[in-house]
Amino acid sequence: MRIIIVDDEMLARGVVREYLAEHADAEVVAECANGFEAVKAITELAPDLVFLDIQMPKLDGFEVAELAGSRTRYVFATAFDQYAIKAFEFHALDYLLKPFSQQRFDQALAHARANMAKGVGDAAVENMVREAAGRNKPLGRVLIRDGARVHVINADKIEHIEAQDDYVQIRSEGKSYLKNQRMAELEGQLDGEQFLRIHRSYIVNIAFVDRIEQATKDSHVAVLKDGGRIPISRSGYQKIRAYGLARWP
Amino acid sequence: MQEISSTRRGTVIYLLVWLFLGCALGGVIALASDAPLANAMLFAIPMNLLYAFAAGYSAYYLCRAYPLGGRKAAAIALVLTVAALVSGFLWLMAGRLWNGVCQLLGVSWSGIVLTPPLSSLIVGLGILLYGFAAAVHYLVIEFVRAKNAEQRELESLLMAQEAELRMLRTQIDPHFLFNSLNSISALTSQDPKAARRMTLELASFFRQSLGMEAHKKVTLGEEMALIRHFLAIEQVRFGERLRVEEAIGDEAAACLVPPMIIQPLVENAVKHGICNMPEGGTIRVTARRSGSMLHIRVDNPVDADMRPGSSEGSGIGLANVRQRLSGAYKHEASIHWGHADNSFGVDIAMPAQTGEQGE
Repeated sequence: MRIIIVDDEMLARGVVREYLAEHADAEVVAECANGFEAVKAITELAPDLVFLDIQMPKLDGFEVAELAGSRTRYVFATAFDQYAIKAFEFHALDYLLKPFSQQRFDQALAHARANMAKGVGDAAVENMVREAAGRNKPLGRVLIRDGARVHVINADKIEHIEAQDDYVQIRSEGKSYLKNQRMAELEGQLDGEQFLRIHRSYIVNIAFVDRIEQATKDSHVAVLKDGGRIPISRSGYQKIRAYGLARWP
Repeated sequence: MQEISSTRRGTVIYLLVWLFLGCALGGVIALASDAPLANAMLFAIPMNLLYAFAAGYSAYYLCRAYPLGGRKAAAIALVLTVAALVSGFLWLMAGRLWNGVCQLLGVSWSGIVLTPPLSSLIVGLGILLYGFAAAVHYLVIEFVRAKNAEQRELESLLMAQEAELRMLRTQIDPHFLFNSLNSISALTSQDPKAARRMTLELASFFRQSLGMEAHKKVTLGEEMALIRHFLAIEQVRFGERLRVEEAIGDEAAACLVPPMIIQPLVENAVKHGICNMPEGGTIRVTARRSGSMLHIRVDNPVDADMRPGSSEGSGIGLANVRQRLSGAYKHEASIHWGHADNSFGVDIAMPAQTGEQGE
């Protein structure tokens, strides 16, 4: 069984390694001290099981699980995060409360192994990470995985978002990023005061709109500060007018 | 009257006012009748000093017996009017008596002629002065009451502080506790000696913080000793990631500060600063004394991706420190905090007190 240990504290990783030494078939393929390393390692090494700490710098455990996907199994660990514990309980996920005993660890491992054998796909993890992402509304930053790399984009720096099939294309500081998420979901997570859905396929950051122009007799476009033009639907036009942008005719 | 006569200065001012009124009355009598100034003064000044006590005390007890807002305003006005009338006439009788005594002396500079207009002037003045005395008493009573209320408020604030500190000590951050225990659990097999050191640090930290009392200030040096225990524990957890720089002047270290006033700031610096940085950073604690003020600064790096508003937990700790500072020093102490570039800093300025000043 190939295992990755993710914890920002060296000592905490040491405990997991020590407990794993009791299990001959367990092979630790990587140890990660932060979320970025973890996403990279999980994506590249595709381990069977990940011991994942929740409280970590940059990316927390929920975000790592969101980005690395649910193809692998997770055993979450936390010292005292009431919200996380509630979430684990609710979604019946394997978790460990620090400090934990060898016995408790073995139980969690056995449980994970049993589920692995059954081949149960883990929708529970997906549900939980979606819930966790919704907790931080409005979203201050958007996380995008690009292969094994993770981009962190500050919401303030997002210029506009375009829907593309099952993806959204996020435009920020002259670059475009693809994220595997539905437009409506992302729209719900962003700050509604700052981001307006002006078209079925477009969300725009108000701060980057320069002016609104009449395109044809009854359609408008938003002209962005960088000169880009984004179509505005009829209901989108109502929205952007209702926003009270008097300086735009 | 107690409120006024409780201090010597109050008594002197009160008597001076009446002396002045006496002179004024004497002057009026001398001008209005043909009496010489000396005779008028000899009559008026003792009269006024007598009234100072008689009307003063009587009005005071009436004011105490009929506090403003307690009964109907009409009843108070009626009682005061009757009392003023009675004392006005009594004053006139006392005046006749005193003038009689003066005339008995049979000397030219003593005694005046009490004409009916003068008598009515004395009664009228007596009534007015009585009302004046009552007004002053009401003012003083209100003032004292406001001061007492302030005092009580301050006392209850102190009690609240005591309770708050007790809560601070017992409600140690559970993250800190469980993560420390996890570190010890890891060390017991990896490095037993380090595990023992860590338990000793934890014990020292708890022993010292539990021994602190809210009203007993500690020296900054003692507070720093507590902080060093705390940081030693966190250092085991974070290793190389947590670096600490300390610059405490000897003069500053001897100053007294409210207990556990800096520790929450350092705890925040670890929790919201170092904790969010994969590569860690340096927490700086500096303190210097400049003249009568003690300046303390705690700053820590913050992750560039973390938005200032995203660590809402820190606000509560800071508000708590601010409240305790203002409880201990009122407006003499100040606390400011803010982000600059990729760091967060808290500045405290408070009066520099040392043991000799009899704290």
